[in-house]
Amino acid sequence: MKYSFGPLLLSLLSCSLVLADPDYHERLNLQPLTPASLLASFNFWSKASLQSYEEQHFKYIPRSLGQILQHAKTRELHLRFSTGRWDDESWGARPWGGTKEGGTGVELWAWVEADSDAGSFARWVTLNNALSGLFCASLNFIDSTRTTRPRMTFEPASVGTNASTDNLYLLHGTLPREVVCTENLTPFLKLLPCKGKAGIASLLDGHKLFDASWQSMAIDVRSVCPADGSECSIEMEQTVDMVLDVQRSKRPRDNPIPRPVPSEGLRCDDTKPYAGSDFCYPSDISNGQSWTIAEIFGRPIQGSCLAEDSNGNPLDSVYIDVPNEREMYITSGTENKHLSGTCRSFTLPKSEPFEMVLSHLGPQTFNDHTTPPLYASRSFTGHGQERGGVQTLLTNPSLTSSISFVYFETLPWFMKLYLHTLTARLSTSSTPNPCLIKEKFYRPALDRRRGTQLELLISVPANSTVILTYDFDKAILRYTEYPPDANRGFDVAPAVIRLLSNDKKAPVYIRTTSLLLPLPTPDFSMPYNVIILTSTVMALAFGMIFNLLVRRFVGADEVEGWDVAALKAKLRGGVMVLRDKMMKKGGKGRKSINSSCGN
Amino acid sequence: MALISPTVLALRRDPRLLKLPPYLSALLILVGVVWLCLLPLNEYSRHTYISENALLPGQVHTYFGGSEQNVFNAYKYEVKELAGKPQDEISNKLGEIFKSAGLRSARQKYEYQAAGITYTGENVYAILHAPRGDATEAIVLVAAWTNMDGELNQNGVALTMELARYFKRWSLWSKDIIILITADSRAGPQAWVDAYHDEHISPSVAPLPIKSGALQGVVVVDNALDHHFESIHIVYDGINGQLPNLDLFNTAVSIASGQLGMRVALQRMWKHDDSYRERLQTMLRGMVRQGLGHSSGPHSSFIPYHVDAITLQAVGEGGQDDMAMGRCIESIFRSLNNLLEHFHQSFFFYLLMQADRFVSIGTYLPSAMLVAVNFTIMAIALWIRSGRPPAPKLATTMPEKSSKPEVDVIQKDGMTAIVPKETITIHERQMFIPVSLVVSLHFLGVIPLYIFNNSAFETLPYYFLLFTMVNLVLPTALATFIHHQASLTPQQYLLLHSFSLLLLGMFLATLATLNFSLSLFVGLLSAPLSFIGNPFSGSVEPKDVFPSQLRKTTSSIALQLVSPPVVVSAVCYFWGTNVGEMLAEAAFGWKVNGLWMQVIVWCVWWPAWLAGSVLVSPVL
Repeated sequence: MKYSFGPLLLSLLSCSLVLADPDYHERLNLQPLTPASLLASFNFWSKASLQSYEEQHFKYIPRSLGQILQHAKTRELHLRFSTGRWDDESWGARPWGGTKEGGTGVELWAWVEADSDAGSFARWVTLNNALSGLFCASLNFIDSTRTTRPRMTFEPASVGTNASTDNLYLLHGTLPREVVCTENLTPFLKLLPCKGKAGIASLLDGHKLFDASWQSMAIDVRSVCPADGSECSIEMEQTVDMVLDVQRSKRPRDNPIPRPVPSEGLRCDDTKPYAGSDFCYPSDISNGQSWTIAEIFGRPIQGSCLAEDSNGNPLDSVYIDVPNEREMYITSGTENKHLSGTCRSFTLPKSEPFEMVLSHLGPQTFNDHTTPPLYASRSFTGHGQERGGVQTLLTNPSLTSSISFVYFETLPWFMKLYLHTLTARLSTSSTPNPCLIKEKFYRPALDRRRGTQLELLISVPANSTVILTYDFDKAILRYTEYPPDANRGFDVAPAVIRLLSNDKKAPVYIRTTSLLLPLPTPDFSMPYNVIILTSTVMALAFGMIFNLLVRRFVGADEVEGWDVAALKAKLRGGVMVLRDKMMKKGGKGRKSINSSCGN
Repeated sequence: MALISPTVLALRRDPRLLKLPPYLSALLILVGVVWLCLLPLNEYSRHTYISENALLPGQVHTYFGGSEQNVFNAYKYEVKELAGKPQDEISNKLGEIFKSAGLRSARQKYEYQAAGITYTGENVYAILHAPRGDATEAIVLVAAWTNMDGELNQNGVALTMELARYFKRWSLWSKDIIILITADSRAGPQAWVDAYHDEHISPSVAPLPIKSGALQGVVVVDNALDHHFESIHIVYDGINGQLPNLDLFNTAVSIASGQLGMRVALQRMWKHDDSYRERLQTMLRGMVRQGLGHSSGPHSSFIPYHVDAITLQAVGEGGQDDMAMGRCIESIFRSLNNLLEHFHQSFFFYLLMQADRFVSIGTYLPSAMLVAVNFTIMAIALWIRSGRPPAPKLATTMPEKSSKPEVDVIQKDGMTAIVPKETITIHERQMFIPVSLVVSLHFLGVIPLYIFNNSAFETLPYYFLLFTMVNLVLPTALATFIHHQASLTPQQYLLLHSFSLLLLGMFLATLATLNFSLSLFVGLLSAPLSFIGNPFSGSVEPKDVFPSQLRKTTSSIALQLVSPPVVVSAVCYFWGTNVGEMLAEAAFGWKVNGLWMQVIVWCVWWPAWLAGSVLVSPVL
């Protein structure tokens, strides 16, 4: 399934974009979500011709990343940093159809050019190590146990390349435990042409980005060789999506503590019979949102960054999804209401700050959110340290059409899956229905060498829920295999779900949350105590025995008394020693003369 | 070895050695009891301390208060309005309040049957997603709609919902917070936690539609008072005597008393002046609760799943208001939020005698173990005694014809000895009847276990009365039956006693590591079983083994006084409860909570008692 990446995906959003064709453009899409959240999607797109890329002539595609990709012979790269979770019950379908997000932590997949499986893995390791340094993330920990080669889940986004004929290998790795933070954002911003100093990237501040309820940073690099035979090119897209809690973001930075508001500031429901000075039944908080960019992001947009087409006309870079009747004010730039009535766009002024106010006046309306095509939630069942189970609920909300998808899971090797217990049933029945799983691809784990890979082709009938369950055993690890940090358990990577549609539409991805697998854990402080205690005992014993061995024992009667004779003898001894020394020195001198004579 | 073996061999046959075990047994029981009484002393108990440094209890400033009071008042009004309304209306209103706070809520219906009574209800819960969290861990705030005494938990429920609103505003949570309002204090939490781990009974308990990650800690709020409270009563006993991690308890104590200056009470000891007497009383109350092992609050159901939980109950009349309770919970939640690992640092086996004093398992375990060991020692002694030959005939002045004893020549280690044949022949033990008797008596325990767990509430007292009556005559009947079918030889009599005690000792020693208190209580109540018959005699002559008729009668009357049904009735009388209620409670525990106490009573204690009673019952 080939699809054009940039323009097509952008058109998935309710605003459609008219693209001129400069080599770089950026855009910010703001979408208020009910009840009190705001989805901000930043997208930075750049392009270079394949020829200039191969000649290491870099303009918008950053040299640091480009050289890594060339060195590791990587044709296509997808790197994701995510935290939090998308709440699809209240926020609806995911932005970009879920194609620009990863599971919690870090997720990376790439098509690497190589002669063999082993060769591709070596290049994959090179790539991971280089990216690890570039993005300050522990990507170098993606070893063979965390690497899989999915069969059905991912398709190359590149146009005009053929994975089988070009010797391309797909490798996929995840780090669910990786904490995404500012040190990953800084290198991300450095890849941009304006480095986060101007344009929409000036809003990307670590304080706000990492206070978001859900946040995802993505880098996609692909090659495009148009079918008409024109010049091949390399495209890179950087995306940042975040869902901000409006109330929380509006709190001033110098007073971030959500203290109880004064009684006068409470919004009460006055229709209650007991409403009065001491009673306040809070009225609904979803009554509206009003904010300014500076309130939400801490500062206005600092001018524009390369937002012109080839003729020098300014391009729209900020979009907002609100109905046209909603009142909005901007300080500068131009506003452009779209015909759909649910979206408007703005151009940014060249160098002055741009501020936008979503007013609390007028009708407080939102666009309806779209229903996601599938709800997926995964959790552990059972308790204890020996075995457990995994249960995934897959709900198809559509009343009319069934849905089929690929369910892809990678499990660590110490989670020993029993494939015969893998069953799918409808929530309405208690017996497994073998027809729900159409196809299985299973690659069993090898202890300490690779994890389990499970890809299932599942279909869910209209308006029903499929419960997918399987059991597993927990392996006992060697004590050195536990990570050095506090042991909260092991994270199991999120499952990736790729929805299959009959028409050649862009794919839709959904990821579940990660799981926390507690394994039988030794009391690590105990070996530590034991080591300390043993060392102390050893030291004491050693000290005593050593002392006994090297000490010369002399009988009490053998000790010389402290009398004049002894003193005399001692003195005489001293004199003798001194004289001997003198004599020796003299002898030495003679010897040296002799030796010189000998020469 | 060669040197000591003749001495040991000689000692082995020494009749004085066989006289020793009963005294040793009695001494062990005595030491066990004295040991327990020493525990409250300063020298044997320790100050509590926070072992997990990540908790940092009371290190954060709490902000709950101010205008939150107004919202709390409104919620409390709403809760009071809902009292006595149908469950659906309550659930709808709670769901609406959660929704207005911006939380996703869900419901779970459940239905249990125990002792012919149906327990139904609906739990309502909401999940507050950690702002940057990944749904891998969660902490739970619980309020039961009605508390353990069946009163409307108006302040607890209102406070919980108000805290949910308040917590939603903070962005510092590293774990999801689940706010759970259960319909009652015992069945509701059990249904919820079972379904959370997908171990619920389908279809009477519904599965949970939304879930979060692994549960790391649970705090239950219970405040049914209509006035300001004086102190916080912390309830911590779990099902089957399991306890939450001591760190969680310590955190709550340190926050309530250290940070907020509230008094903390435990085990219903409203007055505690730190005297020996009161420490012992607190400890014993804790042990009784642990021994019974039944649910003592909504937190109890979580503990078997290795989820540490406590209940904070507001008691007394004083100057603390609900905002203070709210601040206490806020601070505990901030501490739980700091946890990097599951609670594991501190103790899981402890006895508390005051809010800040405890003894750990290493110190108290010997007490129950000594009591259990007394049975094993007596069992071994009886085993040895049963293998002894009948005593040689007393010397008479008249020389007998075959006065020459048979001898054997033994050569060992280059030495030769002439040994009377009598001392080295092995007297075969006739074990079939004793073993089958002991085993069948233990299986007989299944009958009362089944009857008391599967009868309707109204019939339970009658069944109990019937059982007590049967229990009065059962030993005599069994003894008569055995006597007429297969008269016991002295050796079989001793073996029967030995096996019964051996099993009892083994069960109790194992149980002591799981539920110390239950093991100790059962051990002490069965202590007389060690000393029935003629324990101080080493001979196997029938007249020395079988007790006299008078002795039999007194022994069986004495044993009847410590029989399980009599003890149960005495306990009920002492606590002023109805036997039927007590049995219904136990049946509820068995059916709903997975309580094992009755198995111990009917399949360990009662068979041992029955075996002992059969041995001393007069034969008709």
